[in-house]
Amino acid sequence: MSFSTMLSTMGEGMLRTCAIFFLTVLFSLPLGLVIMFLRRSRFFIVRTITKLYIAIMRGTPLMLQLLMWYFGPYYLFGMNIRGYRFAAIIIGFSMNYAAYFAEIYRGGMETIPQGQYEAAEVLGYSKAQTFFKIILPQVVKAILPSVTNEIITLVKDTSLAFTLAYNEMFSLAKQIAASQTSFVPFVVAGVFYFVANYAVAFIMERIEKRFDYYK
Amino acid sequence: MKKKLAVMLAMLLIPATILGCGNSSKSEEKSGAKYVFLDETLGVESYAIGFRVGEEELAEQVSGAVQALVLDGTYEKIGEKYPDIKDYLCLKADGIDESKLPAKGSGDSSYTFKHGFDLDYPPYSYRQDDGTVGGFDVELCQAVCEYLGWGYEAVPFNWDAKDMELNAKSCDCIWSGFTKEGREDDYTWGITYSNNTQGILVPADSDIKTLADLKGKIVGVQTATSAYDMLEDSKKDLADTFAELKVYETYTVAYNDLKAGAIDAIAIDMTAGSFLIADDNK
Repeated sequence: MSFSTMLSTMGEGMLRTCAIFFLTVLFSLPLGLVIMFLRRSRFFIVRTITKLYIAIMRGTPLMLQLLMWYFGPYYLFGMNIRGYRFAAIIIGFSMNYAAYFAEIYRGGMETIPQGQYEAAEVLGYSKAQTFFKIILPQVVKAILPSVTNEIITLVKDTSLAFTLAYNEMFSLAKQIAASQTSFVPFVVAGVFYFVANYAVAFIMERIEKRFDYYK
Repeated sequence: MKKKLAVMLAMLLIPATILGCGNSSKSEEKSGAKYVFLDETLGVESYAIGFRVGEEELAEQVSGAVQALVLDGTYEKIGEKYPDIKDYLCLKADGIDESKLPAKGSGDSSYTFKHGFDLDYPPYSYRQDDGTVGGFDVELCQAVCEYLGWGYEAVPFNWDAKDMELNAKSCDCIWSGFTKEGREDDYTWGITYSNNTQGILVPADSDIKTLADLKGKIVGVQTATSAYDMLEDSKKDLADTFAELKVYETYTVAYNDLKAGAIDAIAIDMTAGSFLIADDNK
């Protein structure tokens, strides 16, 4: 296999890896916000269920969760799971990462002193206004480095999608390594992950700078 | 920033080129076998097609079509393309009763047969030099579908999840150098189309000449393979004499460890092993 064939074959896998990455970021960031609100709910039941959800998502391997999401509908309800593979992967990744993001958001929220809510109320801000105009901008500033961490982990975790026979980049690297008895595909994979994560870190740094308006 | 990135990239690419060159120069400078199988083997196993339990009719139809392909020479012709496998193909034209086989094109043309296999298993099923999916099993299964008039769909799955995929009907069979021994009751079995021998691979200059010499040595094996199952079960006595049985996710890594001298031998089936050492033994 020539180097260019290897690259073009792995290139297809890179597109699939990117698909998982972007869709997961797209769904899990807002979903994490919802889970964070449920986690901070006034109602004991809602709070407890959300806590349990986060405990399961963080306490079990993502690989097992992917198997559950994909094969669960068949084993539990006897449903036909044909064509459901990719959706299961995105659901699995998004639900898992949303739990982590929710806890990061919550950490950010806890740093806001109670006095700010009181001051906003005195000034006549509604609850929604208080959150979006006063609280959220400060929270985003505080949590960006942790979010960057999580997103970088996600780039590398995409290789778990092969559990569900989805031929993303790293599984292709393994297949080519097996058929060519060569280590070069792994080096290419390493370069890809590094470049992708460098780009993520670079973009996140830019976003952090934009939020640095008090300095 | 751009400059920094370029330097970083260049630094990462250096090991890539070194590795790339290292491989090719090694195989060029030395001639003759560098890695050999011991004359003593661990045992013989048969590769067959596994179907869901109870699907006798499907198993019979596919097996019949395979036999028909033996009669018309397709089976042998596909085998010619894979020299590592050729000697292990066990089906012969004589003895096959033509009248009992399904006729050409007798299958339901609206049916698509979903072929489940592992893409990490050359030369039975693997990613080929041009990047496409292929291998002996893939080509034979495609020929079967063509013969019966079915559609063919490749389902390259994760080997660890093969039973889930089969039971959830994501695929209709497991056909990927799939060993029958020890799994007789777990599947409805189709025809045995290849025999394979489990052997021990060592460097040609190694002092290991017999199975007894493996005493106190480190032996590598890939997880979830027949070689591994044998060493854990019927050949447990032998495995107990090893200093260590090292279990790898893939044989590629085990082979690199053998080359580097980190382990002394690899337990592997002859066809996969021959494929592994083909480049270095040139």
